[in-house]
Amino acid sequence: MTKHIARIVLVVLIASACASAEVDTSGVPDLETVTVEEFASKLESLGRPAIVNVWASWCIPCRSEAPLLTAAHLEYGGEIEFIGVNVRDSQTHAKEFIAEFGVEFDSYFDSGRAIPNHYAGIGTPITFFFAPGGELLSTHNGVIDDHALALGIDELLRFES
Amino acid sequence: MEFTLLWAALTGVFFAWGGTRLWPEGLPDHATDRMVGAAAAGLFMGRLVAMTLQGTNPLTHPGDILVIRGGVHTAAATVGALGVYLWAVKGQIRFLDATAAAAVLGLAGWHAGCLWRNTCLGAASDLPWAWSLPSSTITRHPVEIYAALGLIAAAFIVARLPIRTLLRTGAGFALASLVLLLTEPLRLTIKGGLEPWYIAGIAAGVVVVTLGGRAVRSAPIHTT
Repeated sequence: MTKHIARIVLVVLIASACASAEVDTSGVPDLETVTVEEFASKLESLGRPAIVNVWASWCIPCRSEAPLLTAAHLEYGGEIEFIGVNVRDSQTHAKEFIAEFGVEFDSYFDSGRAIPNHYAGIGTPITFFFAPGGELLSTHNGVIDDHALALGIDELLRFES
Repeated sequence: MEFTLLWAALTGVFFAWGGTRLWPEGLPDHATDRMVGAAAAGLFMGRLVAMTLQGTNPLTHPGDILVIRGGVHTAAATVGALGVYLWAVKGQIRFLDATAAAAVLGLAGWHAGCLWRNTCLGAASDLPWAWSLPSSTITRHPVEIYAALGLIAAAFIVARLPIRTLLRTGAGFALASLVLLLTEPLRLTIKGGLEPWYIAGIAAGVVVVTLGGRAVRSAPIHTT
């Protein structure tokens, strides 16, 4: 009996592993390509603080933090601007990533990594915290966790007030 | 940057090792190795559960399992670590009791490891010992340091208890959960606090102590 159960569990696990998850990207528009100057100008024109997350579809840690950033955007999107910067990626893969994780904030396309390089970010992912007006307050290189993101958001909200 | 997590883990191991030196009574052989192995297995289990709850299939994305910072489910990790430790000591409950104080001290070390990661701070505060992030003027509670100090105190309390069936284990579980519950309101979070899990931990600890007490009372008395 135990052997049968183990076999069934194994088959289910293998089947779920082999199942190709079809992602519908029809509702996701192409990501806009921007230069560093254009991006900085966008940040300066914002009347509120911003969180800029640098990500890529091939980046494993980015997958781990995507649900957290999506939840943070839902909670604090009214007070803080959330912006994604997709680096060293293709439009197709980037759109699949956005559709898979239900990311609702805008992402820009930066295949040359010019934007994170300009702000001295290291690796991927990176999360930048900007004051209203585009002043860079802090940088989190690597995966951001719940407490670190919540702390960064609290700093931005108090900065705003 | 990612290595700061490793330093925090090593701080936890160092504290646990210190606990085995402070309170060696009744420990199994290679107690620190067994604790580290159990903690690693618990992390693995907690990561799998966290990934699954986040909607990521561990089988299709096995590489994600290594991204510990992506989240670890505390309750699953605790259950996994306890289960693996029990397995490692061949189910002998007395070894759980003998290890409880060192394990709580190890947990204190993990929380003190926030100093390596620069993740000690929580809610804003004007108290004299509050400090701020390097780029900020907003002072905050060093909540993880509070937790570490509370857990160190809990470890010393547990170590003063007699090694009796499940007494130290249950007390360690309940006290550690209590410390984390008391400090939780000072932690900042987006996904929501872990208060329900800590309350469950306290309840589980009390139940374990009670069951252990009953087992002692109902055990047959051997006479020579």
